[in-house]
Amino acid sequence: MRSRLQGLSRAAAVALVACLAASAPVGAEGAARTTWGDPDLRGIWDFRTITPLERPSSLAGKEFLSDEEAAVFEEQTLERLDFDRRDGGSRFDVERAYNNFWWDWGDKLTDDKRTSLIVDPPDGRIPAMVPEAKDADRARRRSGGGPVRERVLIGSKAHGPEDLGLSERCLLGFNSGPPMLPSAYNNNLQLFQSPGYVVLLNEMIHAARVIPLDGRSHLDGRIRQWMGDSRGRWEGDTLVVDSTNFTDKTPSFSGVIGAMGSGETLHLIERFTRVSADTLLYEFTIDDPHTFTASWTAAIPMKKTDGPLFEYACHEGNYGMANLLSGARAQEEAAAQSKKP
Amino acid sequence: MKKRTIVVGLCLALASGGVPLLAHHAFSAEFDANRPIHLKGRVTKMEWINPHAWIHLAVVAEDGTEVVWMIEGGTPNTLMRRGFTKDSLAPGTQIIVDGYQAKDGSHKGNGRDLTFPDGRKLFLGSSGTGAPTDGSDPTEPPRN
Repeated sequence: MRSRLQGLSRAAAVALVACLAASAPVGAEGAARTTWGDPDLRGIWDFRTITPLERPSSLAGKEFLSDEEAAVFEEQTLERLDFDRRDGGSRFDVERAYNNFWWDWGDKLTDDKRTSLIVDPPDGRIPAMVPEAKDADRARRRSGGGPVRERVLIGSKAHGPEDLGLSERCLLGFNSGPPMLPSAYNNNLQLFQSPGYVVLLNEMIHAARVIPLDGRSHLDGRIRQWMGDSRGRWEGDTLVVDSTNFTDKTPSFSGVIGAMGSGETLHLIERFTRVSADTLLYEFTIDDPHTFTASWTAAIPMKKTDGPLFEYACHEGNYGMANLLSGARAQEEAAAQSKKP
Repeated sequence: MKKRTIVVGLCLALASGGVPLLAHHAFSAEFDANRPIHLKGRVTKMEWINPHAWIHLAVVAEDGTEVVWMIEGGTPNTLMRRGFTKDSLAPGTQIIVDGYQAKDGSHKGNGRDLTFPDGRKLFLGSSGTGAPTDGSDPTEPPRN
């Protein structure tokens, strides 16, 4: 039943995006093809959107917004995202550097005006965590021990680099996944194809996955990688990328409140469907019964963009690392001084 | 203090409501909300480096000595995409920075407001795409 619902939901998402994109059909014979006959998904794709991953509780039961409602939602969201705001005092102000010019969240909901990127389950929310996984997360955070699985770790003691988040350590971007998720900037993917391979290159942290399409099996289960091990195949005109072999140094999923579960048990399925000349529908399913009580799926329509991608050499000028560590030391020193009689 | 940092972070996350997920390191871990800075100086260089651009600013203190401050900016990719180039902020340009100093007391800061001496904003974020001369906003003041 669950998988039937999921299938229906996925089909509905594809159909919806396809209908919305009908003004720019790819061609009567189906998707454009490469010279060697595969569906042509190549290009640079922009996945920024202000559609939230999870449906806000205030919109419970409402899957789509009308045009008028969407306009209001967009306006309110952009107001919240306005880093040029100066209300709330210095504690908020310090987090609002730099001004809006530097940020690139996007300013629109997805074309279908969905209230969440999550399309399954139907409530648009991440399913509850398995109690054991939740307890393990809590214990990990409470102990202050590793591994740090958060992409960004607010409130880290920062005794050393290993105590900081994965993106702060230039290991994984905060939006480049896998799976990819819209965020503050550099929401760009370049997709390359050659006979037998697909390459997914994210601008953020220039993370690249080279994915064979020849049906080979996954790596030995003892081999664990930061971005897992991805294998691709075609299902009709959809590219399906199946990834396993993630590590316990990454979470099963990173949400607003931090890392959820361990990557060790994550089975990630990503689907790429070119629903029009300028839209690549990206869907991902988190299948991890050790972390979540049900599998769940999000759909993000990516828009064709001219690019180019710019290089992102994360370690090149990562002053932030030194600043975060020296900031933590200064904080400790201040705390020690205040305790002195 | 750690608790406060977490609270601020969570408040920001909540304030952002439906905003798509997290982003970025916590400024509050790098910079001190209790150390506001107001700097007037001359740009000596801009480092176009990832993950964050840094503007170097020579500021003359009251005693006549010159101190070079470093001001953190966002990813250069966004600037480039918006038409900002290395020539857009030439060495010698006078700018004013309002922001917060690094927690360790060094001459580094985050610049929440960067303006020219005549009051124009250095980076216009709320207008069109924000590109300096994208022309989408007829009220946008001309650049240098």
